[in-house]
Amino acid sequence: MTRWLKENLWRHITGVVMCLFALFPLYLVVLSSFNESGSLQVTSFIPKDISFANYKVLFNDERIPYLTWMKNSLMISGFVAIASVIIGAASAFAFSRLRFKGKRFGIQLLLLIQMFPAILALSALYVIMERVYKFAPGLGIGTQMGLVLVYLGGAMGVNIWLLKGFVDSIPAELDEAAKIDGASAMQTYWQIFVPLAAPVLAVVSLLSFIGTFNEFILARLFLIEVETRTVAVGLQQFIGGQFSENWGPFAAGSIIASIPIVIIFLSLQKYIVSGLTAGSVKG
Amino acid sequence: MLSGLIRGKVALFIKIALIALSTAVLLTLSQSAFAKGEYVIAGFLFIVILLVNYTYFSKRTVPLKFFLPGIILLTAFVLTPILYTLVMSTYNYKTGNYISKEEALGRIQALALEQDEDATAFDIVVGEYQSSPAILVSDINNNAYFISTPEQRVPLDKARVEIDEYQVAQSAEGFTALDSGEISSSDAAKKRYFFDGTYFIVVENLNVGAVFRQSLEYLPEQDVFRSLITGDIYRDNNNGNYVNENNKDDFLEPGWRDPSWFTNYIRLFNDERVRDPLISVFIWTVVFATLTVITQFAFGLLLALALNKPIRGRRFYRSILVLPYAMPSVMSILIWGGMFNTEFGAINEILGRDIAWFQDPTFARVAVILVNLWLGFPYFYLVSSGSLQAIPSELLEAAAIDGANPRQIFRKVTLPLLLQILSPLLIASFAFNFNNFNLIYLLTGGGPRNQLDGEIAGATDILISYTYQIAFGNNLQDLGLASAISVLIFFLVASISLYGVRKSKVLESFS
Repeated sequence: MTRWLKENLWRHITGVVMCLFALFPLYLVVLSSFNESGSLQVTSFIPKDISFANYKVLFNDERIPYLTWMKNSLMISGFVAIASVIIGAASAFAFSRLRFKGKRFGIQLLLLIQMFPAILALSALYVIMERVYKFAPGLGIGTQMGLVLVYLGGAMGVNIWLLKGFVDSIPAELDEAAKIDGASAMQTYWQIFVPLAAPVLAVVSLLSFIGTFNEFILARLFLIEVETRTVAVGLQQFIGGQFSENWGPFAAGSIIASIPIVIIFLSLQKYIVSGLTAGSVKG
Repeated sequence: MLSGLIRGKVALFIKIALIALSTAVLLTLSQSAFAKGEYVIAGFLFIVILLVNYTYFSKRTVPLKFFLPGIILLTAFVLTPILYTLVMSTYNYKTGNYISKEEALGRIQALALEQDEDATAFDIVVGEYQSSPAILVSDINNNAYFISTPEQRVPLDKARVEIDEYQVAQSAEGFTALDSGEISSSDAAKKRYFFDGTYFIVVENLNVGAVFRQSLEYLPEQDVFRSLITGDIYRDNNNGNYVNENNKDDFLEPGWRDPSWFTNYIRLFNDERVRDPLISVFIWTVVFATLTVITQFAFGLLLALALNKPIRGRRFYRSILVLPYAMPSVMSILIWGGMFNTEFGAINEILGRDIAWFQDPTFARVAVILVNLWLGFPYFYLVSSGSLQAIPSELLEAAAIDGANPRQIFRKVTLPLLLQILSPLLIASFAFNFNNFNLIYLLTGGGPRNQLDGEIAGATDILISYTYQIAFGNNLQDLGLASAISVLIFFLVASISLYGVRKSKVLESFS
């Protein structure tokens, strides 16, 4: 018994303490989301009576078009997740398998580009999209379409880089065999590579989804109209300093918005951790 | 065979349809860009059209077929903004110097108005006369009425004008009044109407016109403005403004963005109002990123070590511990922001204090590090426990046989190996936190800062959030300076990342 204590007690203490630390804000937010007064103040750590008032506010109050925000977020992230992987996979295949002039230079440029945080070019992006707005009001600053295009551009670097790493790991014998059998590059891509890569493409796509859903600053800069906002920007603007007044609905809103992401994350956990370790090269 | 043929036909049809569609869309965009004078964008779109058509109709461009869409997106939304940042950093590009020189010339002329000495104003009606925009003017003091177009002034006989009880003319023969909707859709309210040659009438609002004259005259041959009142000459100062020759502080608004070469970069080092905040922000950025990596790694590693044995409840611990990492970080940061609230926040409540977390520099910094620890320790827990498993157990056994105690084994074997395996990740995490804009912006907004003194840099501002404040903050928005700092950050982060890449390459060659 003492031996067990000596060996394992500190492990449990560390585990429990860190679990409490991890759960603390989450528990509080769940607690206040079910608290009728919706106050930031914690009157008791044990819920007394559960009320759905804050959730009702979320879906009925005109000041917070929460469902629209949620829909915007899901649509934008979903579109970017799918489109960026379709486009990125083709590029990754070319970089990994095909021979062409300037390939080395291209790969080095890609490595450099995907290190460049998009946020550094924020003012330039803003000015450029302001100009685009002048001739194409549907695409420029202030539009979801413009935001999606910027996201797609930004996702390219990382996605191509991640996927290239994966394509590199597929044995070259497979497509060499296909080539000997007379398959063109297109056929190799569609009939050998895509079926093999399908699970990885799905994972990268879901990662893109999480990343886009979580993106804040570009969305903040682009989406000016309340109705066009994503849930992250919408909630941030809604809480905007007025913690005491809007806390309850905010708590409820942030929980609902987090659920899909947490689910995706937990189901992908294995890939994400290995992917992050393997992808560490990408800085 | 036949089905293959049909499939081929269908694929070909889809391909042609897609190319035609994208060509049509891009062509329309390119045309309207050209029409609005955005020649660079129009040209870029046109090149894209050519490339798309060439690539997908030619048989020689196999690799391009694969990555053309990716390249176009990268070029348009990543490469171009990067290059544009470089260009902007060499410009005097800020509030007051935001537009092009041609636009600025037009605005200066439009704004250069001086009212006559008596501040004469008339009741007017805006409308049309002989199919030209015109105003019907009632000069009640002189009991005179006239119609004025931009070119001429037509006196009216009072008898032929319909006047209301205030002696204001409402209509006249040949004059058609416009309603407010028609006026706002035409430019009738923006015209200058003839008064006496020097002076003209400007529409102040839909019922009142005031008498003004041009106070500045542009002399295109010399590219100067001459004041028509004092005779002063305003010359282009090569820094985006026309400045009075006799008085350096007297310049014309607005200015324009003007190439200033390395001025912005020189300011980073020479202008103490820029340099001093930059240095303190830089120091905090490094401290913040370093402390973040150290705390996240330390707690992650501690957990990984604690849960490295199959103790009871390990899976349960693990599933709770990844939650902070699984949550969307924007939400978590906002939640923490509420918890640090001075009056009602849970943290003050538990501590039983009234700490103004975000008003005090030290407390704000502690809060930032603490929240970032919460956000990041699960990641290091996950990767450390993965790496612990990767350390060959023979090594540890060998050390134990040699008589090392657990602490020695950890310090001399496990930790060095782990650091070596994880160093690329640690460097990557450092680089990421170096630019962790969301955390700072959403938690403290970079504050506390003394806004009354016009301070732009706050106590928790890191380089990137400071840059954001400079470019988009409430004060003067200086895009040129912000771009120069962005370029600086890029070189810093790129060198950190490249160092990380080389480290991991070294590692790969070992394994």
